[in-house]
Amino acid sequence: MRLLAVAALALTLAGAALPANAKETFDPAQIAHGKKLFAEICRHCHGANMVNMGGGSFDLRTFPEGQRDRFMNSVTKGKNNMPPHGDVLSQDEIGDLYAYVMGSKP
Amino acid sequence: MKRAILCAALLALAPFAAQAQSAAELLKASKTTDAVLTYGLGYDLNRFSPLTQINTKTVKKLVPKWSYSLADDQGQESQPIVYKGVMYVTTHKATMALDVNTGRQLWKTAYDYPQEVQRIACCGVTNRGVAIYEGKLFRTTLDAHVVAYDAATGKELWNEEAIPYHDGYTMTVTPLIADGVLILGVSGGEYGIRGFIEGRDPATGKSLWRRYTTAAPDEKGGDTWPGDTAKRGGAPAWLTGSYDPELGLVYWGTGNGGPWNAALRKGANLYICSMLALKPKTGELVWHYQFTPNDPFDYDGVNDPVLTTLKVDGKDRKVLLQANRNGYFYVLDRTNGEFIKGSQFVDKLTWADGLDPKTGVPIRSALTNKVLETGEETEIWPSMLGGKNWAPMAYSPKTGLAYVNSLNMGMKYKIAEADWRRGVMWLEADFAFVLPEDGNAGILRAIDPLTGKSKWTVPVGAPDNGGVLATAGDLVFTGHQTGEFSAYDASNGEKLWSYQTASGIEAPPVTWNQGGKQMVAVVSGFGAVMSMYVPHPVLGTVPKGGSVTVFQLAD
Repeated sequence: MRLLAVAALALTLAGAALPANAKETFDPAQIAHGKKLFAEICRHCHGANMVNMGGGSFDLRTFPEGQRDRFMNSVTKGKNNMPPHGDVLSQDEIGDLYAYVMGSKP
Repeated sequence: MKRAILCAALLALAPFAAQAQSAAELLKASKTTDAVLTYGLGYDLNRFSPLTQINTKTVKKLVPKWSYSLADDQGQESQPIVYKGVMYVTTHKATMALDVNTGRQLWKTAYDYPQEVQRIACCGVTNRGVAIYEGKLFRTTLDAHVVAYDAATGKELWNEEAIPYHDGYTMTVTPLIADGVLILGVSGGEYGIRGFIEGRDPATGKSLWRRYTTAAPDEKGGDTWPGDTAKRGGAPAWLTGSYDPELGLVYWGTGNGGPWNAALRKGANLYICSMLALKPKTGELVWHYQFTPNDPFDYDGVNDPVLTTLKVDGKDRKVLLQANRNGYFYVLDRTNGEFIKGSQFVDKLTWADGLDPKTGVPIRSALTNKVLETGEETEIWPSMLGGKNWAPMAYSPKTGLAYVNSLNMGMKYKIAEADWRRGVMWLEADFAFVLPEDGNAGILRAIDPLTGKSKWTVPVGAPDNGGVLATAGDLVFTGHQTGEFSAYDASNGEKLWSYQTASGIEAPPVTWNQGGKQMVAVVSGFGAVMSMYVPHPVLGTVPKGGSVTVFQLAD
């Protein structure tokens, strides 16, 4: 019973219908498109290859697995010092950025 | 009786209420010591104060009198204005009036703008302060509005959109009042804008003139751009200019060409990276001097145009001094824009092999030609932040030296294709910083304007980007990224005093006389361009949080 509760909690926290320990996989074309978008739109704050330079932005290399909704929300609506991008990027494009951020981790 | 009480109450408030503050007062701003009336402590932008109470002998007794929280964790670049016992200071989201004797807030007026605008600020969310005139304060906003407030109450008097921010425009500049006209310029050189400088009526906010800073195909200079590239050619005008009332000219610098990849806009690209001499009433362009034709590396020409008189070959010349991003220190004849002298002021400069001694046109190095022809990654010095970034310098007529927070960084630069999108950063290039081996990315220098040579240098580690203040007390004040606020001996650079503020300093200090006591003030608050881009180890250790601190000598 307790196990079930823990599993349910993990699912809720993950915010996505994935077991907490499952590694997401992405289409290479999505990753490639996300990489191009990242270079054009995100890179100047989050750094080349996500190595953020001055420390003034979120370190995307630490973005946790399984929190796609959080990523989509933060990019679309903005969060803390991150400005919203929902007016210049489509949801598909933000999804491709997510694929790049998560799919190109070492 | 009731009315009498009300009158008495109003009278009691009077010392804090800004009186009509006139054009005549502004003309004397650089000689005025009981106020800080303009950006740059006078129309000449010398940032030099004749005050001597705080000097090389007494400075060790300098202590904080009060500090005030700006309640904001963005980069703070505001220069305080002080008039009749009230200090006016800004953040990107508020304007505040403080009692200079107590540090208490008299009023605070918030400014709201859409959060998406922060995306358009290439180099951080910030504001550089207000102009004061006839009882009004004027400021610009990140969403490219110009706003006037009643200096006594903070009530908004008018609010005009200069241009839609959606097209990549923002504003952080401190306005200039010259000959009764409110003058300002735009930011956005990384967003495919067409830059401009604008004159407005201070009474109503209505636009009187607009001078675009790239020449359209049908205008004079239009043939320096291929096709219609001038339309997104950059040349922002994001720092405050100087004003010579005798010559009737305002001097205002213009920024980088857009996009950064200069091969996409072959030609000189007038009037990017230039100094413009304009008539304040009409915006008429009287002369221009282009520092960096076809700018290859974001070498804006916006840095503070400092006005003074120098003896050149035995003759007094009315000159304009500028420590340019491109690593050269320029001396121009400000009556006609003639090039007098240009000298390298940074230690390492690889993008050019020097300037033509007659015209000052830079001679591009083989490295620069290589990166433009092949697009391949190449190490270039100085970096795209320049040999000096925005931090205003001080010029002391007493020592004849310019005191400059210079930068000592290079970059690995390459061409990278990108698609233009409305209101999104558009460089067509990629870069990564190269830090010097000894870690001294920032160097405070005392520069001889006519040789570019440093009489003394103080290596400071992190890349400092606040401003400098010089005084007749033979002191040079500047703040550091570490938060330290320091005073140096103007003659030799010896550090005589320092105080640790709450965050890193990115703003220019000021000084004035308050009832017989010399005061010094500086805004602290780490952020903006250095925090976003530069991987210097010190920067990662600096806490955020804006504040103002005011100092005076201990009794």
